[in-house]
Amino acid sequence: MIAGAWLCLASPLAGALAITLLGTRIPRAAAGWISTATTGVAFAGAVWSFFGLRAHGSEHGTVSTAWTWLESGSFKAGLSILVDPLSTMMMLVVAGVSGLIVLYSVGYMDGDDEERRYFAYMSIFVFSMLLLVQGGNLLLLLAGWGLVGLSSYLLIGFWHERPTAVAAAKKAFVMNAFGDATMALAFFVLILHSHSLSFASSFATSAHLSSSTVNLVALGLLGGAAAKSAQIPLHTWLPDAMEGPTPVSALIHAATMVTAGVYLIARTHPIFEQARTVELVAAGMGALTLLVAGLIALVQTDIKRVIAYSTMSQIGYMFVGAGVGAYANGMFHLMTHAFFKALLFMAAGIVIHALSGEQDIRKMAGIGRLLPWTRWAFLAGALALVGIPPFAGFFSKDSIIAAALHAGWYGVVFWVVALVGAFLTGLYTFRLYFIVFPGEPSGYVREHHHMHHGHEGPRTMLLPVGVLAVLATIGGWIQFSPFWHPLTNWLDPVAATLGVAEPKNWEELVSSILAVALGLAGMGVAWAMYGRGRVAVPSLPRVQRTLEHKLYFDEAYDAVFTRPAAALALWLRRDFEEPVILTAGPDLGEAAFDTGRGLRRMQNGLLRTYVFFLGTGMAVLAIVFLLVR
Amino acid sequence: MSGPGIAWYLGVAGFLFGTGALGVLLRRNPLIVLLSLEIMLNGANLALIAFSRHAQNGAGQIFALAVMAVAASEVCVGLGLVVAIHRRNLALDVDRLSELRG
Repeated sequence: MIAGAWLCLASPLAGALAITLLGTRIPRAAAGWISTATTGVAFAGAVWSFFGLRAHGSEHGTVSTAWTWLESGSFKAGLSILVDPLSTMMMLVVAGVSGLIVLYSVGYMDGDDEERRYFAYMSIFVFSMLLLVQGGNLLLLLAGWGLVGLSSYLLIGFWHERPTAVAAAKKAFVMNAFGDATMALAFFVLILHSHSLSFASSFATSAHLSSSTVNLVALGLLGGAAAKSAQIPLHTWLPDAMEGPTPVSALIHAATMVTAGVYLIARTHPIFEQARTVELVAAGMGALTLLVAGLIALVQTDIKRVIAYSTMSQIGYMFVGAGVGAYANGMFHLMTHAFFKALLFMAAGIVIHALSGEQDIRKMAGIGRLLPWTRWAFLAGALALVGIPPFAGFFSKDSIIAAALHAGWYGVVFWVVALVGAFLTGLYTFRLYFIVFPGEPSGYVREHHHMHHGHEGPRTMLLPVGVLAVLATIGGWIQFSPFWHPLTNWLDPVAATLGVAEPKNWEELVSSILAVALGLAGMGVAWAMYGRGRVAVPSLPRVQRTLEHKLYFDEAYDAVFTRPAAALALWLRRDFEEPVILTAGPDLGEAAFDTGRGLRRMQNGLLRTYVFFLGTGMAVLAIVFLLVR
Repeated sequence: MSGPGIAWYLGVAGFLFGTGALGVLLRRNPLIVLLSLEIMLNGANLALIAFSRHAQNGAGQIFALAVMAVAASEVCVGLGLVVAIHRRNLALDVDRLSELRG
């Protein structure tokens, strides 16, 4: 079981090293296959440790330490991994979805100039993400946290000749660094009090801390979670991150990395439970994000940005779930979301690929006729996203909505917001679907569509999409809240659902009926407006402009942070650098020159002068020594 | 212990050192400068040996031997330089050998 987990962690790293070290000695295509194979081995390792853990009983989480990494006095941090139900579940999801997406990349990136670099980065990302979920102490968790941020940066900026991609990569890195910093500070406070970084001892210590300290720690952790998971107010990097290649968006910015915040809350839930207010702030943040992102998604015209906002919105649901205390429901939605969102991104990738890189949905009209399989796969993903039974999203999203209803008056607020979000999800998802797929192919599509030897794309791209379409359809059947819940039972020893988040059966029923009805209503409105074109899209120029500017978050940050910083820098340059530093430099040099010119006269080449100086020096020294003694 | 007191020895040593120093400072022929240097060294040697006798300690005599060895090698190098200067038909005058002035 432990061996499986180590194999799972080491295999992608070995893949990245192999691709990097072999360099040009292997053909380009081989890099993709090395990456796919090592990720596949990682998935096998995850399956191995899953069955091992099941055989031992899921309550037996094990920490395995390879060696001591840092040691200072009584403080020790080992390179150790933790195998427990939560990390095993994440290992399965991460390694499985990564394997499919890396396989898809083999087809998608075929012919790119720098395929080797791409696959090396992908393998590094998979390793970092597995380190994040398997890290056996807070330090390794932070290390994985930072490494996924780094690989995300590298992959967003993969097409480094595009200035927009480079800017987006920098933006993502800076915003994530902010979250990393608050998280590191929270860990420092924990070390100060518990003198240890192991999960168990810091959780035990957190029970004895003063409420202000524990609130501070929880807030720091929440900052990290919000930055990584793109929750308001640290969300603006995610839509821009769509500059990266589409498989990267599917893997990092939909299925795995951005959901790390939910994992963090579930992992450190004993701390959050000591700071219940902060936990509810997390849920409120999620509720706000799911609403705002759903609204913004209504007006976006870039196919990947619509899906990106939808990702933010769905992570908002997960935050609501984890925040009210239904950790297992949040993790369940994380899993199903990984399936259907990766599916949507990869289907969108096939469309973009077929149109040679075009991402504007207004130019894609009618492409469904030319890409029938992609259309069906996208439809399955869209239905799962909206939460129509029996697709996966129905089971996971409705259980979160029901859990919110039970959690007190604020829970009711979250419940209402989540239901409105369900309507918006139906509306924006099917707006996208009806604009892009049905109908007669437009002239643009006919002109730019190039057939890949008579089918939709290489087999390496279609196979993962097919597998994910099946998973998006049936993946949710594993748990149906009131009737069977193996996932909740499995996670129970690590992240037990709080009592306040266990809804009664009638609450489940009401929530499900309302959520499905509102989702269908959203779909209906989308059909009326964009499918049939019967109902005109309401014209609200001011609202539309506000939403197209994404509620002016970028502009506000620009005004509050960027402009003052630029103004300060300009002021320092004008009033400090130019008058002080730029003039001081030449002055200092001139003074040194003058001194040198003066001293040069002493060196006149005459032996007797030197002897004179030598004798005088000796005499002075002798006098000094005599006097001092 | 018989013989003159240490003051006499130091007087002679100081006279030798002063003579040598004046020679180094005033003469311009490098050969004479080297010779004066030897006189200075021998003044110092005399003082060392005198103190050695006075203090009943052999260390000073060892120092003097070491100084002689250094003096011998220094003269070798110095005379070699003088011969080299002469062979190039340069003036044997330390004041005109001032190529290294700043």
